[in-house]
Amino acid sequence: MYRRKRKILSGDNMKKIKKKDIGKLLSKWQADFTVFTPSRATGVARMEEWDGKDTDFLTWYRNTVIPPKNNILPNMEAMFRFQKDEAGYQLEPVTPEQKQIIFGIRPCDARALTIIDMVFKDTYEDRYYLTRRQNTVLVGLGCTNPYESCFCTSLGIHPAQSADVDLMLTDIGNELLIEEITDKGKELLGKSSGLTDASSNDEDSAKQSRETAYQKVTRKLDTTGIADKLQASFEDKDFWGKVAAKCVTCGICTFLCPTCYCFDINDEISKGSGARFRNWDSCSFSLYTKMPAENPREEKWQRVRQKVCHKYEFYPRLFDTIACTGCGRCIRFCPVNWDITQTLESVPEHSAV
Amino acid sequence: MNDIESKLRTEARNLLEQGKVNAIIGFAPGSLKFTTTPLITGDKEDTDRLVINPFIANNLSVFIHDIEGPVGIVAKGCDARSIVSLIQDNQLAREDVFILGIPCPGVIDLRKVEKLVGRDRDEIDDITRDNDRVTVAVGGENKEFSITEVLRDDCLSCESPAPKEYDLLLGEDNVVVGDRELSRSHIRELESLPPAERWEFWKNEFSRCIRCYACRQVCPACFCERCFVEESEPQWISPLPRWQDNLVFQATRVIHVAGRCVDCGECERACPVNIPLRSLTGKMDEIVEELFGYKAGTDKDAPPLMTAYVPEEAEDFIR
Amino acid sequence: MSQDAEWEPKILGFLCRWCSYAGADLAGTSRKKYPPNVRIIKIPCSGRVDPLLILKALRMGFDGVLVSGCHPGDCHYQTGNYRARRRIAITKKFLEYIGVEPQRVQASWVSASEGDKWSQVVADVTREIKEIGPNNLFADE
Repeated sequence: MYRRKRKILSGDNMKKIKKKDIGKLLSKWQADFTVFTPSRATGVARMEEWDGKDTDFLTWYRNTVIPPKNNILPNMEAMFRFQKDEAGYQLEPVTPEQKQIIFGIRPCDARALTIIDMVFKDTYEDRYYLTRRQNTVLVGLGCTNPYESCFCTSLGIHPAQSADVDLMLTDIGNELLIEEITDKGKELLGKSSGLTDASSNDEDSAKQSRETAYQKVTRKLDTTGIADKLQASFEDKDFWGKVAAKCVTCGICTFLCPTCYCFDINDEISKGSGARFRNWDSCSFSLYTKMPAENPREEKWQRVRQKVCHKYEFYPRLFDTIACTGCGRCIRFCPVNWDITQTLESVPEHSAV
Repeated sequence: MNDIESKLRTEARNLLEQGKVNAIIGFAPGSLKFTTTPLITGDKEDTDRLVINPFIANNLSVFIHDIEGPVGIVAKGCDARSIVSLIQDNQLAREDVFILGIPCPGVIDLRKVEKLVGRDRDEIDDITRDNDRVTVAVGGENKEFSITEVLRDDCLSCESPAPKEYDLLLGEDNVVVGDRELSRSHIRELESLPPAERWEFWKNEFSRCIRCYACRQVCPACFCERCFVEESEPQWISPLPRWQDNLVFQATRVIHVAGRCVDCGECERACPVNIPLRSLTGKMDEIVEELFGYKAGTDKDAPPLMTAYVPEEAEDFIR
Repeated sequence: MSQDAEWEPKILGFLCRWCSYAGADLAGTSRKKYPPNVRIIKIPCSGRVDPLLILKALRMGFDGVLVSGCHPGDCHYQTGNYRARRRIAITKKFLEYIGVEPQRVQASWVSASEGDKWSQVVADVTREIKEIGPNNLFADE
């Protein structure tokens, strides 16, 4: 299980802010950053550029529909532009420059970023993802009322505590307790206003609030030995066939998943000039692995197997962490209520390969 | 367990035992409150898990082509119409489906309930229906609503809630409390706007489409092995999620399924970003009826809408 | 071409190769005068026109689309134009519903001997589309 050393500063450094002053704080930050907050303004809950006044999200208790990965690995981003002239092709790289704050990211989504960091920093460093990541300050907000689909606690993630953010906010009623987690967070605090010192009572309230949130996560999953179990069941076509039967192979689970990162690359060319883009792709799609010679995952049971094993077997073997943070979006938004926790719980025991 | 459920479980088990079908497709309890999930099984013991309740939302006919050989399928009115439509399109043979018809009193729209009580489904304790009253137990209180306030919009405009094509009808053929006008009110609203505003509305809606293709995947009428949007030579539509291309994708899809779409509403329910797709499919339903007097899935011997013709019709726009 | 020429619509025409294309050809050999705004794509039959092509044309920025085929009963493939008729009928109504000006989608029956008619159709269609202005439906803001 991946763990990060957590720096918890002592009580006298803890700050707090009244919920009704959040607007002023965000306004102050807007001077130097583009601030993203959870919003339903477009018709679906996701991180939007803060409109300058709406702080309704403080009453939501829970997560957005579209995960914040969208702000670091967008569904559509230009990689470079090109222009054809007599000399050949002139390339103009696109560099994400925007300094941004994602305010209100939940611990599951923050951990998810830490998890996919590993693949983008691996043998090849993805400059687009990493630049955005570097330019982003994460201000986490602990959940107070998890969904029935949440199961973060089974994956070592606390719904109201996080070491994967730069600042961590805990809901203590009319106020939010603020903890510094990283130097980036400390720097941001230095650019803040409207903060007061937190008392030890406030810290106790926060502990209480966190514990309550933790207990409210009722969906549980036992991940002991799951990687080995999955490996041993790889060829079990009966099992995977049954599991995959009701999947309709759309892209909802993968697109809404904060740890999914697959993308497609497309060139748009008009009269020799254009740009190269990348956009989200899904291993659930039937054409995902189609090649001229063959399609190794032609049948949907192969694709469903791949999706589950990638998250709970292959990724752990490569990066020592399960690539799932229990956010529950896949369960909640799947049109056929396909449930990964049910699948994992029913993996049969096979003798080790 | 209600009467229909017990009859259904017995029949389904018998069909498998007698080898009349290779699999049963029905609904089982879901893993979340107020949810059911498709049950596709060749094991007769699984039939004990079959349920019939106000949350049997999916159009199960989308799974038929996955099964080899004869299949027994639980079908509400809309599902049965989809099956008829598939038969018309030669996508399945009538003798390969054993239709277990369910006279459907309508499916409850969870989004509507959530909106009415101002809470997420996770906070709702129970939703029960008693004919045309629905009681929602939330926060220690019981709130009552009329069924027309919480039924899915497509159920409100459904003209054949009980399947007309079936092998066995489990229950009495009934009439659901409908309100076609209420169900189509959003379409009427849009029609009252000037064209430029309508376009702005759809432009806005499709700005949040993420091209997950759930709308297409849950639709039984979308059975093409390779969808036009997956063609790369030529590439008709860019795979990048710009609103322009999202809109062209959906508009083309709706036109492509005209005459096959039975307005089951699954596309809209599946959409994770809440695009009101039924305000497109519902309108196409009306267009098709207005121009050609055609209602999808009502006559398995009729030629499909778009291959049929009458020597003189719909000429007024042609020079 | 004058530098400040007023806007001229670009119209994409799908002409069936047996009737309409021949009719257009006849208009040419008969030296009929008519506007040059229709860019022609020859198709085997008006029944080839998938509504996708109409939408794609509008997406690309064409100001209008004109589908022209054989008269009902005269289709070289018997029923192709009947299918085209149904498809274009529902496409027009649907596009109108979502906010596309109905004049942008046009259809005509032009037979191989109707060179006159073809030139008239093009003139009428061009004028109608000119009146409603350029297609900015898919313009980015």
